[in-house]
Amino acid sequence: MFLEEKLKILADSAKYDASCSSSGSNRRNNNGLGNAAVNGICHSFAADGRCISLLKILMTNNCIFDCKYCINRRSNNIKRAMFTTEEICEITINFYKRNYIEGLFLSSGIIKSPDYTMELIIKTIYLLRNKYHFNGYIHAKAIPGANEILIKKLGKLVDRLSTNIELPTEAGLRLLAPNKKSQDINKIMHTIKNNTNKSFAPAGQSTQMIIGATKESDKDIMSKSSDMYKRFYLKRVFYSAYVPVNKDKDLPIITTPPLIRENRLYQADWLLRFYKFTVNDLFDKENNFNILLDPKTDWALKHLEQFPKEINKATFDELIRIPGIGLTSAKKIITSRKYFNIEFPDLKKMGISLKKSKYFITCNNKYYTNSEIPNKSIIYQNLITQENSFKKEFVQLSLFEND
Amino acid sequence: MTNYVIIYDGTFVNLLSTIKYLIEEKIRPAKIVVEGKYNVSLFEEILKPNIFNDPNYIAKLENLSSKKVIKIITFVFLSNDKNKELILYYFILNTLKYKKNIIYYRNLLCVNQALKISKHVANENHKFKGFTRFQMVNNKFLFAKIKPDNYILELLSQHFSKRLKNELWIIKDEKHNILSIYDKKNFYIVNAKDLQLLELKNIEKNEKWEKLWKTFFNSIAIKERENRRCQMSFMPKKYWSNIIEMEGNDEKNN
Ligand code: SF4
Repeated sequence: MFLEEKLKILADSAKYDASCSSSGSNRRNNNGLGNAAVNGICHSFAADGRCISLLKILMTNNCIFDCKYCINRRSNNIKRAMFTTEEICEITINFYKRNYIEGLFLSSGIIKSPDYTMELIIKTIYLLRNKYHFNGYIHAKAIPGANEILIKKLGKLVDRLSTNIELPTEAGLRLLAPNKKSQDINKIMHTIKNNTNKSFAPAGQSTQMIIGATKESDKDIMSKSSDMYKRFYLKRVFYSAYVPVNKDKDLPIITTPPLIRENRLYQADWLLRFYKFTVNDLFDKENNFNILLDPKTDWALKHLEQFPKEINKATFDELIRIPGIGLTSAKKIITSRKYFNIEFPDLKKMGISLKKSKYFITCNNKYYTNSEIPNKSIIYQNLITQENSFKKEFVQLSLFEND
Repeated sequence: MTNYVIIYDGTFVNLLSTIKYLIEEKIRPAKIVVEGKYNVSLFEEILKPNIFNDPNYIAKLENLSSKKVIKIITFVFLSNDKNKELILYYFILNTLKYKKNIIYYRNLLCVNQALKISKHVANENHKFKGFTRFQMVNNKFLFAKIKPDNYILELLSQHFSKRLKNELWIIKDEKHNILSIYDKKNFYIVNAKDLQLLELKNIEKNEKWEKLWKTFFNSIAIKERENRRCQMSFMPKKYWSNIIEMEGNDEKNN
């Protein structure tokens, strides 16, 4: 098989993994080729608007497992291919020199056994680091069920190591990925967490959940994320809207992936990690997010009694709960108001959008509109029209906003 | 007080020295422009200060303020903003007063503008760390063409001299017609007019790796999620001419 055809098959079968991030590592160029950039770099954007940072491929799409949602599952009759270690190294090096990519993302179907597969992955990356002297970013998948010693070996060679939980509950996993055991996945995450340091997966670990293949609620999903962030110090949980590639009685019948839902989960994930929201804050009234509004705005509308906040007095924690005010804006407000009293035009000068925030704040005790604050249903209507009038682009998880 | 149009020679050190002179002599500039690049109108009064460049002024400013302030000043200078010189004059004038805290006075127009412009330059530099595409020439050196709005070539060269440390490379900024040439030790920025590169005439189009890259690029997109608008907003069309995987994508978008 020609290299071109292999690449086509093995990129195509890797594309459902949502992780593209290349941040979190500052690996230096040790007189070879390449280095890592702490903030990550996007090299291109695919036709689906997702960032391309790494050469994302499978080593092989052969697999002994039969996960129902997966295009590569054993029972599918598709073209199979496998790269040699040298081929993977050559493509990586040549793409990297031409600045197409930031590094390699190597995953694989399971051939023979988890250990056998892991050993091949390790061999490839070892070669890349030591024969080709490649110091760029490498993200590798740890195969559930593989020996701990192999995980430790791999961790020393890569910048990020990850394993996918895929489904938020035990029941979901049992239904759709009967060969995968959640203990195996937990064990890997544990090993990675306990070993992560400057020379072992310095960019930490991440994971992914498929959204909409099973019946779990948003609350189930966010609870799982929150739990994993706490237990395994994950850098990121990625959410991947289920794309129907197989037919199966256990799979939902949908035609388009639930992209807006995926977007809401990413927004909420952000709130958990950086905005000091808890799962209980987010779901104190319902178990699923409002599709029409972002989770923070939706939360604020349900808690109008806590608003308005006075821009010149609110604490940092209060500021970041205001819809439309992010971490950077809150920092700008806090530092600026030491030097001058903030009025509405100043907010605009600072690049802080008033579109959403104007309903929830005062500057020197005055509302933006100078009038009384309109009532809840009017705000709700206005915000929804706004959000949907400029046809929401699906949010690309920015690599620029610290991983 | 007369409002003068001030002339300087286009270099950073000369601009800073000129600004220092204006502040000391309490001269309010109406404009600060590069010699030979500005058509004077009848009603304007020109002033070309007779000064010596003071290469230490930047260090003095840094002592007075901070590294961060100097970075902002430098980045504003690298921008293509038409008023950058005047903005820098007011920014430095206020830096003398507010020192390192200058960056928090976003209610001052010059501070607000300087921060915005410097961020814009930093962003463009960051984008080109990803969007620059090299081609292999005669199996000897790498060559890339870029068309950035701002003068980011030097910043970008710093990045690639670490990343592609053991390669020979040349980057051409087609917009400002300058080249950066790297010899595995240092990079040199030269005027493209001063250098004829014969080897660039026979760059192999669509070589093996370029073709493979396009294959990868097309395979990695999920059809069910296609979103060309999103793609375009992250990777603006104005950069496409040098991004090889976008060749022929124009039609698909319409
Ligand atoms: S283990 Fe499951 S998800 Fe992974 S490649 Fe095999 S079938 Fe697909």
